[in-house]
Amino acid sequence: MTGTALRAPTQARPRTETRAVLGGYAGKLLRVNLTTGKIRAEPWTPEEMRLWVGGVGLGAKILYDEVGPRVHWDHPENRLIMATGPLAGLPVWGTGGLTVVTRGALTDGATSTQANGFFGACLKFSGYDAIIIQGQARRWVYLYINDDVVELRDARHLLGKDTWECQDVLSAEHGLTGHQMSVYSIGPAGENLVRFAAIQGDYGHVASKNGCGAVMGKKRLKAVSIVRGTRALDAADPRGVVQAADDIAHDLKTDPSARSLYEWGTLPAVVNLYKMGVLPIKNYTTNVAPAGVEMADWEAPKLRHGFDHRGHQCSACGMHHCHMQVIPRGKHKGELVDEPEYEGWSGAGWQIGLLDKESIAWLNTRIDRASVDVNEFGWVCGWVMEGMEKGYITKAQLGFELRWGDLEGAARLLDMISHRKGFGNLLAEGVKVAAEKLGGAAQEAAIYTLKGASPRGHDHRGRWEEMLDTCTASTGTLESGVPAHVTEVGLPARINPFSGEEVARQVAGILGRRHFEDSLGICSFTTRTRLENVCRALSAATGWLYTVDECVRFGRRTAAILRAFNLRCGIGPETERPSARYGSAPLDGPAKGQAIMDQWEKMLDSWYAGVGYDRKTGRPTPETLRKLGLDWLRKDLWGKKR
Amino acid sequence: MKALRIVPEKCTGCLRCELACSYMQTGAFQPAKSVIRVSPYEGHTSYAPYTCTQCDEGWCMAACPVGAITITAAGAKDVVDDRCVGCKLCTIACPYGTIFYDPDTHKAFKCNLCDGAPACAEACPTAAILYEDVAAADWLADFAVERSARLLAVGGR
Repeated sequence: MTGTALRAPTQARPRTETRAVLGGYAGKLLRVNLTTGKIRAEPWTPEEMRLWVGGVGLGAKILYDEVGPRVHWDHPENRLIMATGPLAGLPVWGTGGLTVVTRGALTDGATSTQANGFFGACLKFSGYDAIIIQGQARRWVYLYINDDVVELRDARHLLGKDTWECQDVLSAEHGLTGHQMSVYSIGPAGENLVRFAAIQGDYGHVASKNGCGAVMGKKRLKAVSIVRGTRALDAADPRGVVQAADDIAHDLKTDPSARSLYEWGTLPAVVNLYKMGVLPIKNYTTNVAPAGVEMADWEAPKLRHGFDHRGHQCSACGMHHCHMQVIPRGKHKGELVDEPEYEGWSGAGWQIGLLDKESIAWLNTRIDRASVDVNEFGWVCGWVMEGMEKGYITKAQLGFELRWGDLEGAARLLDMISHRKGFGNLLAEGVKVAAEKLGGAAQEAAIYTLKGASPRGHDHRGRWEEMLDTCTASTGTLESGVPAHVTEVGLPARINPFSGEEVARQVAGILGRRHFEDSLGICSFTTRTRLENVCRALSAATGWLYTVDECVRFGRRTAAILRAFNLRCGIGPETERPSARYGSAPLDGPAKGQAIMDQWEKMLDSWYAGVGYDRKTGRPTPETLRKLGLDWLRKDLWGKKR
Repeated sequence: MKALRIVPEKCTGCLRCELACSYMQTGAFQPAKSVIRVSPYEGHTSYAPYTCTQCDEGWCMAACPVGAITITAAGAKDVVDDRCVGCKLCTIACPYGTIFYDPDTHKAFKCNLCDGAPACAEACPTAAILYEDVAAADWLADFAVERSARLLAVGGR
């Protein structure tokens, strides 16, 4: 848009709607009470917008204020917050963003999980920045939003349908196709309260972490459907938004650290992470590909071009990331699937010993359609497969033989979990609960954190930053995420990945950035540019002067609130550990013998010092809270005297 | 004459053109008032943008009873707001459905090629919309027929 960026609109049309709303915002929050059926729009003020921004920032505050310690994940009064942010619907790349915040089913603690597509843009054009869902419906309903028409509608005809079918049916019923309506729904796994059920939308986008789909299922809310709204979104400085968008796009296309993501999405990670020993293979039993498997066949072009594929981008996005594809051969020939992300190739593939690409692509989409988190599915399925091989899970228990790489068996297991059938009922509780129930050698082999949250689809024994992050996070998944442009916040560009001290300092140092990104209604892949550029886009949208310092401070404030929420729920530092297998030393491969647990306590010491939290109680120190401007939280955590 | 050439096969359905267009036309981001619109084909698997081809015959222009549609310096047919009485005849006359009526302003509105620097073409991340010196044509007809007629076939596009 560079050519037109500096010119004024050709014809300023008289606008009937005068808005006194801050640029970038729709200005209202939508509160839906499923128990009473009451729906109301609540305005929020520019001051609140600056404090809580949107997404996880806004969600964390609402969660902390409205969900008490006795309101567990399955309590009707739990909140399901579907929030977007100030950049959603604007022409910055990847601005369809959705952040789901709730008390999640896997950890029974705070959750922040993201998806994209067009949800955020549709919601904003309908006039809302976030939806706060509370209560529990008597009968299954879905939420329909079309500008001012917001209704809870009977969803009984959608029950049992998977997430793609659900979107097909709702689109057809309203005479809409494609991006004319965004639908986020749960499949059978959500309906049956599988503890790692996800919320899936717009054919292939998943808010997958910490069982947010189970929370939705408990509320008997089958779907949220939003017709692409007709309202206008203003920006304080629209040309500034376009210029920042152009700069971000330029960075993503040319920066060495972002360029492969621009060209291939997350596909290159399969080979790149394999080379670091970070691709999980057969439940962490090895880090070496089987004989006869050429890693050259797993390069990104091979993964994409093996299928009839088509770009299927999110709102305003120019990344060559999300694709739809058709399976070209085999039993499922002709089926339309969503191109697996790296997480799909690992969770529905390498982790369960399945190396047939067409099979992985098919299974990955089946997992999405059932509304199951592909990571936890991998950890559960791989664990059962290893258990069968080694004899601590028997055919009698499971009902059939399940060997490494068995596609039909894995699909059958998915069905058993999604419908809580037989042994699937136990597995639906997540690998931690299942492993603790079986105990002994079975428990030793399971991959989980003591908090209950699932690791992402990596072998973190070769990527210590993420193991530390996963274990200390309050979001039910990675909290600090991938270090991007760390020198911008004064951290070293490179560290020794197996020095616990350096790793801990780095993870602590980047805390906050991710919370900021996840508050904007934008994809965290399209913010892999300098934070300064993202701040510039936000400033242009809102008219604020938002600096890198403010965004880090904002992010850390959000992190502190989520941590305080978890502490109030009884989730303390004693749970910040990997399970035996998750924290073991790799037996082979590039990270062979690197034992993170030898350094674990020291890593925690450094991390706690770095983020300014109290090592013993896990609480952010009074000093940290004071610096973050969280005096009210200091009183809650430390009492009035400190 | 320069015209907007649409290459439908390149469109990924990100709808960024609609954002850019609505900003140039109205001053705000509001796809509902964009004069380029992205249509889905084959359910949700393929997309293509469509806007006024600035066709030679200009049925909208011929149909307008008050002569409110003129040809601009950039060669675009454009609605003169002061003359438009909002009768919608042009929207009925246009065989492509690319001239619209705005219930807020009570006027017709359409693509005016942004006075020679179309925002949609600049905004498209995949170069599916080009502003080139070509004869105006219905860029989408063949694509639409093909995509509407067949299901997504294995191995082809």
